[in-house]
Amino acid sequence: MIRSLRQRPWSDSLLALACTGAALLLAGIFFFLLWDLVRPGIGGLSWQFVSTLPAAAGRDGGIAPVIVSTLLILGVCLALSVPVALGTAIFLAQQQRGLPWAAWTRRSLDLLAAVPSVVFGLFGAVVFCELLGLGYSIAAGGLTLACMVLPFMIRAAEDGLRAVPREYHLAANALGLSQYRLLGAVILPAAAPALLAALVLAIARALAETAALLFTSGYVLRMPSSLFDSGRTLSVHIYDLAMNVNGGERNAYRSALVLLVLLLLINTATHTLSRCLSGKARI
Amino acid sequence: MKRTAKRSLICLLPLTLALVACNRPAPPQEKLTITGSSTIAPLLVEIAQRYELQHPQLKIDVQSGGSARGIADTRQGNAHIGTVSRSPQADEQDLHWYGLARDGVGIIVNTANPVVSLSTRQIVDIYTGKLTDWAAITGKSAAISVVNKAEGRSTLEVFLRFFALRNSDIHAHVIIGDNQQGIKTVAGNAGAIGYVSIGSAEVAIKDGAAIKLLPVNGIDATIGNVANGSFPIARTLHLITTDTVDEQAQRFISYCLSASVHDLIESQYFVPVVH
Repeated sequence: MIRSLRQRPWSDSLLALACTGAALLLAGIFFFLLWDLVRPGIGGLSWQFVSTLPAAAGRDGGIAPVIVSTLLILGVCLALSVPVALGTAIFLAQQQRGLPWAAWTRRSLDLLAAVPSVVFGLFGAVVFCELLGLGYSIAAGGLTLACMVLPFMIRAAEDGLRAVPREYHLAANALGLSQYRLLGAVILPAAAPALLAALVLAIARALAETAALLFTSGYVLRMPSSLFDSGRTLSVHIYDLAMNVNGGERNAYRSALVLLVLLLLINTATHTLSRCLSGKARI
Repeated sequence: MKRTAKRSLICLLPLTLALVACNRPAPPQEKLTITGSSTIAPLLVEIAQRYELQHPQLKIDVQSGGSARGIADTRQGNAHIGTVSRSPQADEQDLHWYGLARDGVGIIVNTANPVVSLSTRQIVDIYTGKLTDWAAITGKSAAISVVNKAEGRSTLEVFLRFFALRNSDIHAHVIIGDNQQGIKTVAGNAGAIGYVSIGSAEVAIKDGAAIKLLPVNGIDATIGNVANGSFPIARTLHLITTDTVDEQAQRFISYCLSASVHDLIESQYFVPVVH
C-alpha cells in the first residue's frame, strides 16, 4: 500500500510542475512590473519629490498635494465604509442563510461588486456632487469610493466572521456573556486577521481607482485646505501625466513608484497589526 | 473602567469626523470652476496657477473629463468656463467660443529621406499598409516604417479625422506616446514616417534632430501657417461660456487670451491665437 515518495505517479509530478510554474509566472509578472517602474522612476525620486508642490502641470516639481489628497480621500472612504461594512458583515454572519432579508442583501452586494467603477463615478457625480451639493470635492470622492469598496469589504469580512469556530459561540453562551461581550471579546479578535485582510483589499482597490474619481474628486493640483476642495489622487495624477501632459512620463513613473511604496507600507502595517491582534482573544 | 472610556472614545471618533465634515465653512474666497477637454486641462492648470498668484483671493479649479463634458457643464451652469478642443458644431451656437490656441499636426520623416512632399492619397496608402516601400514615391527602395500614436492621444484623433481613417485601419510598425518619443523614433530610423505636434517638431529641428516636416496639400507645416489657419491638419482649442458670464470668469478669459500666457501655451507645444 505504502508507496515511496520517489515513485509518485507522473500525474502528481505534472500537477506539482504546473502549480509551481503558475506561481513562478505570477512572481515573474510582478518583478517585471516592478523593474519596469523602478528603472525609469527611481532616478530623481527623493524626499523633495514627495514633499514639494508640482510645477508646470506636474512635469516638474513634486507631488505633495497629490499625496495629501490621496490620503484624505482614503480617510473619508474608510471612515464611512469600515463601520458600515462591519455592521453589515456582523448582521449577515449572524443570520441564517435562508432568511429573505439577508439573501436580498447578499444578492445586491454581489451585483454591486460587479458594477464597473466608472458607473460608481457617474453615480457619485450625480448624488454627491450635484444632489448633495458637494461639487468636485475630496468628500464626494471619498463617499463614492466608499460605495465602491463596500461590497468587497462586506463579503470578505462576513467570510472572516463565519470562519470563527462555532464552539466559541457555544462557550460564550454557556458562560452567559452578553452579545456585546461575545462580539467584542471573542469574535472580533478571532476574526481580526480576516477583517484586516478585507481592509487591505478595499484600500488597494480605492488607491487604484481612477475613473470614478475623475468625476467626483476631480483634477485640481492645489494643496487641499478642506474636505470640500477638489484634489487629485495619485492614480489620477499618473493617468494625466502619462496621457495628457507632454513630457510627463518621467514624473508619471516616479508617482507610480510612490503609489507602490504607499501600498507596500499599508500592507506591512496591517500585517503587523494582524499579528499583534490574532491570538489575543480574551474573555 | 478605563478601557470602556477608551472604547467610547474610539466609537466617537468617526462621529466627530462626520460632524466636522458637516460643518461646511462658508467659502471665504471666490472660486472659478472650469471643466472640459483633457488636452487643454494641463495648459489651463498652468495659466490658472499664474493667475492665482496675482489674485490671491481667487481659486480656480480646473477639471478634466472631455470636450463633451465641458459643453454640458457650461450649459447646465456647473462650470463657469468650459474647454473644448475642436470647432463649434451647428447646434452649439448658443455658446460663446473663444479661440485660446491652435494645435497643428505635421507629418515628419527622417532627413536622410529624399521625399519632399506627399499627397493625401499617398499618406493614406502608407498608413493603411498599401504602400510599404519608399521606392514608389522617391525611386529609392527602403522599407517604410509607420509610426502611429497610442489610443487616446489627441494628435491621433486630429490625424484620423483629417484623413478620414479609423484607428483599426492603420497598419503601424511602431506605436508611440508623446511627441518627443515620435521625434526620436523618426530621427533614428531613415525609413520612418510619423506625425507630431508641429510646435514640438520645430523646436526639435532647431535643436538639430534628424527630422523634417512635410508640406500638406502644398502648404508648409510651420507654426505661422497653423496660427493663420491655412495649415489644414489642425484644430483650435476653445474656451466657452454661456450668455451670462460671471465677471471674474470674463476677466480670467481675457487673461487667457492675452500675450502674458503665450509662453505657457508654447511650452505645451500649442500655437497661441493672436487676438
